[in-house]
Amino acid sequence: MDLTDKEYVEHCRDGHPEDFGLLVERYQKPLFAYLASRVGDGGRAEEAAQESFVRAFLSLKKLRKPESFYSWLLGIAGRVAKEQFRSAAQRQRDREAAETMMSHTTASGEQYPLEEAIATLPESHRQVILLRYYERLSCQEVATRLDMPLGTVTKTLSRAYALLRQELAAREGAEPTVNQTQQL
Amino acid sequence: MNCAECRDNLVACAEGLLDHETSLACQAHLEACAGCRAEYEAIARLQQQLVARGHAAAQVAMVTPVMQRVLQAREEPEGESIMSKILKHRWGFGLSAAASAAAIILIAFLTMPKTQATAAEVMARGAQAVAKLTSIHLRGQLRTYPQDNFSYINADCPFYTIELWKQFEPELKWRIEKPQRVVVMDGQSTVMLIKTDDTGVKVPQRTTSAFDTEWLHRIANLSNTISNELDNARAKGWDLSTRSERGADSQMKSIVTVMARSGVPDNDYTKNTFMENADTRRVYRFDAQSGLLEAVQVYLVRPSGEVKIFDLSQIDYNQPIDPGVWKLDLPADVNWAQLPETVPVLPDNERYASLTAEQAARAFFEACSREDWNEVGKFMSPVNPRLKEYLGGLKVISLGKSFTSKTYPGQFVPYEIQLPPQEFNVRVSNANSAKRYVVIGMYDSKLKLEQDLKWTGAPEVLTNNDAYARLSPKEAVQAYFDAQAKFDWVEMRKFASAFDLEETKKQVEMAEKAGVDVHKQMPLVEVGEATWSPEQSAWFVKCRMSQTKKWNLAVRKDNPAGRWQVDGGI
Repeated sequence: MDLTDKEYVEHCRDGHPEDFGLLVERYQKPLFAYLASRVGDGGRAEEAAQESFVRAFLSLKKLRKPESFYSWLLGIAGRVAKEQFRSAAQRQRDREAAETMMSHTTASGEQYPLEEAIATLPESHRQVILLRYYERLSCQEVATRLDMPLGTVTKTLSRAYALLRQELAAREGAEPTVNQTQQL
Repeated sequence: MNCAECRDNLVACAEGLLDHETSLACQAHLEACAGCRAEYEAIARLQQQLVARGHAAAQVAMVTPVMQRVLQAREEPEGESIMSKILKHRWGFGLSAAASAAAIILIAFLTMPKTQATAAEVMARGAQAVAKLTSIHLRGQLRTYPQDNFSYINADCPFYTIELWKQFEPELKWRIEKPQRVVVMDGQSTVMLIKTDDTGVKVPQRTTSAFDTEWLHRIANLSNTISNELDNARAKGWDLSTRSERGADSQMKSIVTVMARSGVPDNDYTKNTFMENADTRRVYRFDAQSGLLEAVQVYLVRPSGEVKIFDLSQIDYNQPIDPGVWKLDLPADVNWAQLPETVPVLPDNERYASLTAEQAARAFFEACSREDWNEVGKFMSPVNPRLKEYLGGLKVISLGKSFTSKTYPGQFVPYEIQLPPQEFNVRVSNANSAKRYVVIGMYDSKLKLEQDLKWTGAPEVLTNNDAYARLSPKEAVQAYFDAQAKFDWVEMRKFASAFDLEETKKQVEMAEKAGVDVHKQMPLVEVGEATWSPEQSAWFVKCRMSQTKKWNLAVRKDNPAGRWQVDGGI
């Protein structure tokens, strides 16, 4: 049975840094998707995602609520993306590339609250969503992985959809902002 | 089906999980009820969005690179400068060793099971015993290649001597030496020399440890050994055990054994190739009365069994060290290598920084192929004459997809290249009782001795000796290489000494163990004319060797310029 984020974070702090790999495994895909829609380029998104994980690891001691690891990670990623954009923009000799990035950010901007909305879900619901869509498991596979009845998986999904729609509706029209529950 | 039942089943319906009958009922309700249909469509839209997001991230796999960086970041000392480390050693060595020993005992008794606490106590007594250390000399045997890194280990290699001399007072100096690699910190700077190609590396500072010598320094500085082993045992759940036995000098000895697990996966490319990547059993022997460390053995623990890789049996405490030890004689034409932290930012750096590992490997090999050494220098340092001769004019056959290792901060790029033909000379002589031409040495293209192939006894007279005695120097060399190409050891033995044969066999075996297809990669030798050398009273047969090489190029870009630099694997 998979452990909770809180348990993994605590293991890392207690001298088992290798457990951080399990958190990376859990969140690498949603983090990448989140960053890809922000920076508009797979390579840069992957770079930013790696950087975000490393920064998160190095600041793990400062995380006050270990159960909020994912939303905290998104906060870090948001800052990394901004820094990356700034440094890239400074670096670019041709303005064109910067403009492309800008247009990507604007064009796909409405998508990235999805991962932020996922971060607001209770952890049990979030795990089901991540496994079903980011790990691309079937409902039956999710049930096996989490050792729960199939009916519980569909009920959890149903509840998660409702919460996500509610969250997305609340954000609709608002500027995309990173959920910064905790600062580094 | 009513609205409430339909809503309960919406997700299962969208996922296709309902039985046929319920599914039909649900669909019928959806067709009839606008409210439920809107709900269903909203769920379907959200699902589509989620599917698209998951699809975009399907290929992402960053656990390994992130964990590499994380592990690397952990190993970097936190906010401690080289200078502050040196000051600690110079002024506070005795004090800190004794103090940490006391602290360790306390922690150990509070947190460890009994056997571990006993082990901790034994090791802590050892630390107290060396608290007033002014110098130390270690001489051990390590299974390694003589020219390779200081922490490189290979269970299939023979043992080579590795030594450390360290002086703590009046100022810190140290030297570590393997047969073909040496580093000296003379109190001012730290200089390493790789003797095989006269490559020098200079760190313009005093250091407490440099390059990959840390593991040996740890043994020399017992207080660190203890705290490291205990910290590791606690943090990683390693086993520590202790026992007593009577030594050869009939004194009681305390034996502390640590089972160290590197945490590196078995299928990792670098597993068990360096001290820190290896799963090892380390055995420390202390004199029970004096508390001094007397010996250390390190065994590589593999599924196939244990192999002793390091044997340290000579430890001299507080003996005067000859000042000549702190001098490193450098060859006049030393090739200085750039330090990773001084890799310069090029005017067109971005062009190089944006390359992938494979692209960088290709650019490097292609520059070698064109013999554009200026360009090669952007990927590697130093570009010495040996490298130019070895790689100049090569042909790239293929490059594979790069891969990583948990403990290496760079990447490995599989490659296959056709090496440029190498010219060399084989020295043959028939001044023996069998009157046959036999190989007695290998020389480079300029007749500089590369390998003396000693004959301990005279070549025996063969049953069909006449046939062999009739061969000319050139024919004898041709026959020797023909036999080598077929791995025909019996035939080779007619031309080569037992020593040469054993060396060749060993090289072939090791290459096979390292995963090299030796049958495919055996060099093709073209035998040329023979020339008589009156000075050396011997024939030299000119040869050209062409060879393909299939291996993995190690590249890393953790330098200020962010450019890939070739780090090994050539």
